[in-house]
Amino acid sequence: MAKSRLIGNRTNKMMVQAMQQRAFDVRGRTFQITLLAMLLISLFILTVLIVDVVIDSWGILTGRPGGFLSGTMRSLSDDPKQGVHQALVGTFWIAVFVVVLSFPIGICAAIWLEEYALKNRFTRFIELNIRNLAGVPSIVYGLLGLFLFVKGLEGLTGGKSIASAGITLAILVLPIVIITAQEAIRAVPQELKEGAYGVGATKWAMVRSQVLPYAAPGIFTGTLLSMSRGIGEAAPLLLVGAVSGRLGSNSGFFDLSGVTAEHFMAMPVIIVEWVQNSGRDPGFAEAAAAAIVVLLVFVILMNAAAIFLRNHFEKKRG
Amino acid sequence: MRSNKLFITIFGLLAVLALVTTACGNDDNSDSTVSASTFEGSRATATAALQSAQAKAIAGSVIISGSSTVEPISVRVAELFEPVQPDIEVTVDGPGTGDGFKLFCTDETDISNASRQITDSEAKDCAVNEIEFVELRVGIDGIAVMTGENNPVECVSFNDIYGLVGPESTGFRSWTDAGSLTGLNTSSLPNANLDIFGPGEESGTFDSFVEIVLEDIADKRRQDATTRPDYNANADDNVIIQGIQSSDSSFGWVGFAFAAHASGVKLLEVDGGDGCVGANADTIASGEYPVSRSLYIYVNKAKAADNPAVAAYVDFYMSDEGLGTAVSDVGYVNLIDDAKNDTRDNWAAR
Repeated sequence: MAKSRLIGNRTNKMMVQAMQQRAFDVRGRTFQITLLAMLLISLFILTVLIVDVVIDSWGILTGRPGGFLSGTMRSLSDDPKQGVHQALVGTFWIAVFVVVLSFPIGICAAIWLEEYALKNRFTRFIELNIRNLAGVPSIVYGLLGLFLFVKGLEGLTGGKSIASAGITLAILVLPIVIITAQEAIRAVPQELKEGAYGVGATKWAMVRSQVLPYAAPGIFTGTLLSMSRGIGEAAPLLLVGAVSGRLGSNSGFFDLSGVTAEHFMAMPVIIVEWVQNSGRDPGFAEAAAAAIVVLLVFVILMNAAAIFLRNHFEKKRG
Repeated sequence: MRSNKLFITIFGLLAVLALVTTACGNDDNSDSTVSASTFEGSRATATAALQSAQAKAIAGSVIISGSSTVEPISVRVAELFEPVQPDIEVTVDGPGTGDGFKLFCTDETDISNASRQITDSEAKDCAVNEIEFVELRVGIDGIAVMTGENNPVECVSFNDIYGLVGPESTGFRSWTDAGSLTGLNTSSLPNANLDIFGPGEESGTFDSFVEIVLEDIADKRRQDATTRPDYNANADDNVIIQGIQSSDSSFGWVGFAFAAHASGVKLLEVDGGDGCVGANADTIASGEYPVSRSLYIYVNKAKAADNPAVAAYVDFYMSDEGLGTAVSDVGYVNLIDDAKNDTRDNWAAR
């Protein structure tokens, strides 16, 4: 009686059952095995995809990796000058635009929402809208980009340019950046903040010295992952005017004039185009696979940078 | 301190990566003529137009948009043109014939690729913006009518096709149903499931197919000139071909350039009123194969007059390398010589 009053009837019953009847927890085990199976399934699918793409692209990746990275878009798949240089330059600069525009704006917005904004109906309304925006299909952002940046601000962006595409994708990932940064800031323990106030810190000093260092790893992971997502988008780029057939100019990586030049190319668009061309000329399937590997490596490099930064800041926090 | 080091390492790595690729890019530009000339070993002899263009180097840019079907021809012409005039930058996009004319008639492009002739309303748009153009026929694309490779059917008539995919066939699930339309003289088709795959309404191939095969019969039967709505429409020719492969009694159509490389499908002969004709390069060029369409480029006259790069590019297009080599390189069928000369005359008389 005394025992059951102490830990509750139900728990007591379960404990007695567990001790008397089964040494082996069937349900718990089943659950555990199901979880493992789910993990293995997702890993298996991923492995099949990657292995398939690497096998398809093996000829190009081992045969002429330099030529493929420096080549341009061609009409025939067996052209030795076929490659992804223009598209890689486009995607590189789009990534730069996303980092430079969406990260500062997104992180500042998140700090304001978490630390400064009053918790009233207005801020709740704003947060609700940010969450909705994160779920808007990417093609809608493409339309926005077409009307606002390609047509409206043509003088500034140069029309159907890398700048227009970069700004469009920066806006596309902005809600995700805000949400992930908010989550990271929210995870900062209240005690840390109160401790800072306790020794007489102002709000700004508290945010700078306690909140940001503590939240930095989370912010970095979330924002860089969202950028990886952004540079893989093809649909909005097609609307903003990525060229699918041939790009006359071939500017280098650090050629700033290429950023606002009319017409550009990007990796996801080149992949779509080559996959479609493979019906006319089957060799394009191999080129498309190789382009996928190049984009994959680009994204992995980005994520590696994110993990690197996160570990660095985690060490600092510890 | 540590943070500074870290940033330097990361950006150093990125910079090295970028430099390596830019270096490769520059290599590519400098030896472009060498590798191009070895690759273009099969090039036809240069024409008079080409030689005159070679005389002086022109710098400039040519902006082309329009049909995704014609896109590879214009890209191929630009590639063959590159060693001749390396300073002319040719940009080619392929959003579709209709979208291309929208840009062309608002003066945004120099040349518009088209897999059909310009419509009256499109021409009106051009006239409103005072854009004069010249229409140049550059090649022919056949539309292949296909089925699964084990289907016993060898030849279909226009009436058969109308019965299978025309507007009145909505809901038909068997090939024999095609004969059930009264007054439609169809050949005997097998009693087998009918799975239809084809391009969607937005495609130029869809428009041409309706125009060539279905329109006349539909008019006679007082129906809308379109297909049945209940078939598997897809913008990707590969998906269409996969669909046709998937069933022995499938039916579908795509551009001949795509079908020519497809395996596991059977190209049907088509009877357009003069007997059954199979689709191949010869029958399409001669016009015997009834389901074929012409491919065009439309050149803005004012742009051609003001911009020597545009004129030089089209001059090269009109050479044997353009109308001959480039068109066949990317899988389309050359015009017969008389038609090529007609095209050249149209360009010369602009």
